[in-house]
Amino acid sequence: MNPAEIAIRAERLAKQFGDFTAVNGVSFVVRSGEIFGFLGPNGSGKTTTIRMLLGLLKPSSGEVEVLGIQVVQDPAAIRPRVGYMSQQFSLYRDLTVEQNLRFYGTAYGLGSERLKERMGQAIEMAGLRGLERMITRDLSGGWRQRLALGATLLHDPSVLFLDEPTAGVDPLSRRAFWELLYELVERGVTVFVTTHYMDEAEHCHRLAFLQRGEIIAMGSPEEIKQDMMHGAVFEAAVSDSTRAYELLRERARMERLGIQSVELYGALLHIWLVDHAAGAEAIPAELAAAGLEVFDLRRIEPSLEDVFIACMRSGKPSR
Amino acid sequence: MRSALRRIASLVIKEFIHLRRDWWLPAFMLLGGALELVLVGWATSRPMTNLPLMVLDRDRSATSRAFVVDLGNTGTFRAPEWVDDQAEIEAALLRGEINAAVILPRGFAEQVHSASGRPVVAVLLNGAESLPATAARRAIEGVARSWGDRIAVERVGLDSQQLESFFPSLRVWFNESLSEALYTTPAELGLMLEFTVLIFAALSISRERELGTLEQLLVMPFSSLEIIIGKAIPAMLIGFTDFLLMLGMVNMVFGVPVRGSLALLLILALGYVLVELSKGLAISVFARSQHQAFLLVMMVGMADFMFTGYAVPVETMPLILQKAANLVPAHHWLAILRGILLKASGIDVLWPHAAALVGLGLVIGGASLRYVRRALN
Repeated sequence: MNPAEIAIRAERLAKQFGDFTAVNGVSFVVRSGEIFGFLGPNGSGKTTTIRMLLGLLKPSSGEVEVLGIQVVQDPAAIRPRVGYMSQQFSLYRDLTVEQNLRFYGTAYGLGSERLKERMGQAIEMAGLRGLERMITRDLSGGWRQRLALGATLLHDPSVLFLDEPTAGVDPLSRRAFWELLYELVERGVTVFVTTHYMDEAEHCHRLAFLQRGEIIAMGSPEEIKQDMMHGAVFEAAVSDSTRAYELLRERARMERLGIQSVELYGALLHIWLVDHAAGAEAIPAELAAAGLEVFDLRRIEPSLEDVFIACMRSGKPSR
Repeated sequence: MRSALRRIASLVIKEFIHLRRDWWLPAFMLLGGALELVLVGWATSRPMTNLPLMVLDRDRSATSRAFVVDLGNTGTFRAPEWVDDQAEIEAALLRGEINAAVILPRGFAEQVHSASGRPVVAVLLNGAESLPATAARRAIEGVARSWGDRIAVERVGLDSQQLESFFPSLRVWFNESLSEALYTTPAELGLMLEFTVLIFAALSISRERELGTLEQLLVMPFSSLEIIIGKAIPAMLIGFTDFLLMLGMVNMVFGVPVRGSLALLLILALGYVLVELSKGLAISVFARSQHQAFLLVMMVGMADFMFTGYAVPVETMPLILQKAANLVPAHHWLAILRGILLKASGIDVLWPHAAALVGLGLVIGGASLRYVRRALN
């Protein structure tokens, strides 16, 4: 890959806090202009990784390169060229929309003309026209999030780091937020985003699954689904889904019928089978024997959520 | 360089917007300090008077009543409460209602007037409140001594003019009326300056850490030194404004003079503010929350308070504490403050304290700067 196309490169990056290993030697490359998703349960090392990428935390070992700059050696050099939205709301709640933006812009050295122009764009983008004098505390979650994004974009960063940017934001605002990210990527910005929302993960160009500080799968959403899911996923509608769930979980534990895992999705069951041909016939029979009626059983395209949960349950790195 | 100044300016402006929004803290520091000064100045403006006194007069003679009248004339006590039973005195002492009680035994007058009598009075003091007890003891002993002199003169048969007691000739410098207010208000003023600067500095970074904005500040193009300067300027301005306001107030309300050079006072005050500022910023990055920062300020402030000579003169402390006092900036600051306000001292007299302040400032400031920069990087 041409070095100019690489926005972020992490090489065997690791961080220990005392005896605890938060990040255990992760390596990955983020290409310029892509949305790279970092997925993992709470405590899997997502935030620790992002903080090392930004130079806020010194890695125990390994290397980080952002925009061709060695971050560990020269953290100050990347600051003017990256933007960061931390997990906590990163603006000052007691300042108005305008005051927050002005503080950001001035800190990044925007001249007054440029500042005015960029502030206007940010306010437009966040949909906050007319609310410039509102105290940030009084904004709703979705607005705040878009304002924070607008603030981190004032100085035209080339790489954007977002740590669970949409946590606690309603679905509609989340969608609006992601549309903004797509617009940015079209303009050539690279986005590194952590999340544990699966629907958001589907929107990423490429993903890394993180578990206990290790990457257990990486690639585009399609690649991950193919690589990780050997066998097939079936969706079943059953007369008593809770009992069927418990029964099949039991079979899976006994490693019978080729069942890898069973998950409840509302009233439906998602059953992951190693060998779909054998299992597909055995399962209705097994359930019928327990007095459960199967209304419908069909093979489905696995969602990322299926893959994610399957990966987390097995807990084995894929390669 | 220009961009660094612009970044610092943006931080300072932001800090002042915080202060305007969260007006509680500055209002508390400014008005709270003034209120504290008024209370202390007012409460200590007069010597101790009006102490409650109980009298059990078993003698019931003109002489014993004259003794009690003399006690009343000292001005230390309010009109005495006469009781008939010692149990009442004990009960009142237990309840803390009186500071002192006097018991005149039967035959008091007889002992006073007979040629070889030994008059005695019993005095009970409430030692739980040692300051009023001491004042009461002094007053009662004073009356007893003058009675003793008078009895001696009568017994020897001298004219009272012929016996001159030995009295030191007193002349008080710097605070002619020995007014407590002139001692306590400058001390209070100096301490309020310390607390104001410490609290503002200590909250400045810990607040950002608590709210999660510090992380953001650190990924912005601020250098650690710029953050420190941007945080220091508002705390300094607030502290100094507070000091000037309070100085004006003690001067006008309590008549605390500024006998020495005001310019020298302000320069040394600025130096002192810088020292406390660096302590406050170190606390601010050490604490994980505003709460912790506040408690640490209280701890540090209380320790410093001991060495200001406000509660107990440093000269009467154990030797090791006297030595330790030299390492406390507030100790030197108060010596300077009292010196300039009351004694018109110039730098020729105050230089050891000023030098100590500068030296401590360099050590504390340097260490704090290194520590804060390391923490922020």
